[in-house]
Amino acid sequence: MAEYSRQAKGNFKAGGATAVINLPFQPTFVEFWNETNIAAAVAANKTCRGWWDANFLDAGGNNITMLEIYSNGSVTVFDVISNTASNPGVNSFFGGLSLQFGPSKQIVSSTAASPTVFTVTGHGYQVGDTVLLEGLFQSATTGQPQMAGIPFTISAITTNTFSVKWDSSGSNYTALSASPVGSTVKKILFPDLYFPGTLPISALTLAATTTVVTTKNHQLQVGQEVAFRIPTTWGPTQLNSLPNTVIPGSPIYGYVQSVTDQWTFVVNINSTGFTAFAPNQTVAATVGRSFAQVLAVGDVNSGGVQISSGSALYPSPLYSVGSLNSTSTINGPAIIGSYVNNTSQGFTIGSGTATNNTSAVIMATNDLIYWRASISDFGT
Amino acid sequence: MLILRDYIISAASQINAAGGSNGFNPTNLGVSDFSLVATTLDTNNAYKFMSGIEGMDRFGTGPIRSAYFMLSSTELQGDFDNLTGSGFLSQWNYPTNASALPAEYGSVFNIRILTSSEAPVARAAIANSAGTTNDLYYNTVLGKQAITHINQDGYSMNLIYRDPYYSGMLAQNATLAVKFAQAQAITQDTAIRNLLSTRFSTLGV
Repeated sequence: MAEYSRQAKGNFKAGGATAVINLPFQPTFVEFWNETNIAAAVAANKTCRGWWDANFLDAGGNNITMLEIYSNGSVTVFDVISNTASNPGVNSFFGGLSLQFGPSKQIVSSTAASPTVFTVTGHGYQVGDTVLLEGLFQSATTGQPQMAGIPFTISAITTNTFSVKWDSSGSNYTALSASPVGSTVKKILFPDLYFPGTLPISALTLAATTTVVTTKNHQLQVGQEVAFRIPTTWGPTQLNSLPNTVIPGSPIYGYVQSVTDQWTFVVNINSTGFTAFAPNQTVAATVGRSFAQVLAVGDVNSGGVQISSGSALYPSPLYSVGSLNSTSTINGPAIIGSYVNNTSQGFTIGSGTATNNTSAVIMATNDLIYWRASISDFGT
Repeated sequence: MLILRDYIISAASQINAAGGSNGFNPTNLGVSDFSLVATTLDTNNAYKFMSGIEGMDRFGTGPIRSAYFMLSSTELQGDFDNLTGSGFLSQWNYPTNASALPAEYGSVFNIRILTSSEAPVARAAIANSAGTTNDLYYNTVLGKQAITHINQDGYSMNLIYRDPYYSGMLAQNATLAVKFAQAQAITQDTAIRNLLSTRFSTLGV
């Protein structure tokens, strides 16, 4: 084979969810074997092998995954997985170098409360997905457009609703109803090309330490240095990293002291007496409004000072993978707390169910899966 | 360049354009947005990239202020042209083109604008009260000390070229590539802003 082809192989132990395989290319063909099912005593309805081709479509246009399944004794039969969003088989992906969205979905209604709950029929989102809200006008002068254009990581779902971290209980917000025109939501497919990134602020608790709630997964680590960018209309501009009047040339920064969850962390800035955070923005001033933001300002560096109990940086920061806010990346170890390149490509294997034999799935938890992926010189 | 581009739009803070009149948030770019961003960077003691160009006795030209650089999409060039007479000066109207870069489209106040088809755009990311969508443009404005890239282990960029004879025995394919080991870094976050905007003019495509 000429050198333009790419081949890769590997294995993994199945978790409970879709497996993500990062590769240095986007494959057009994937084949896999369920070693656990093959090695075990033959049992009906167990998948032994499967394969997928990027151009292999069924009559409905779904890029199906083919399966070989034990049926009776050592007899095998062939089947397919429809490979829809709710029943995934194998899919290739390319995340990075662009801003990609899923399909727009109509917002039926919303609550004007905290958190804000949106109703979207059969949205298909999961907790942890990041979405972009658009429009949100009930009329030209009412609705919730104050939230539009901000990335939100979903905090709770039901089949037809999802919640986002935003206090829309203020007097300037009007709950949406009757599927207002232009009010849509779409998933941001790869929200963290690099992390930790720029983070819109949802809420601030001002005290001896400052508790920050962001609208999306913040990916920050304990010890991470952060800066605030708060336009005047949002309130506590005292947090902004303007040039320090006490130490000229030294912007005002804070350090993350603790991480509560994906949205919440505590910074070691005493904000007692600062102007209160004001999410109750007017609809009339929506056009041209900038959002309050907090952002990481670079590598954690203790400057050679030992980090120990009592230090503002204690305990030492952790690399993101495997921590509370873990995100898989293709990269190896980096400076802890530093920016991580999360652009990636490769393929995913879901645990979908076969079309004809509805008792057969690709893999169960802890199954050992061997795979081989390739992109070819000739043919597409 | 693409790596650094995506790094910056992910990691640098954002200002929504407010000086335009298209009714979206952010609006299309208005001259007040250029003034606001330059003022912000000045307040943060950012260094400008370029010194000014002194005026000359040439028809249609005007002096150019010392300036920061802004990277914008080529799709916004029509919007910049719309600002002619209210702050925008085409690169061709500089007193001299000696210091103009090939990608430079013009300048507004203290910002000189470079355009590229590779500048980041999020398609149909913004809707207005009528339900009409618009594309979201990331216009990155940089001070001199804002960013850097680091060649790791002294390993600098290599340009690789192998002609078709060596890339396949049928001599059908050539190889042209670069390889490098670099890290990108924002060295001073207060000296960088992403000015987010939508578009006023239609693309006509």
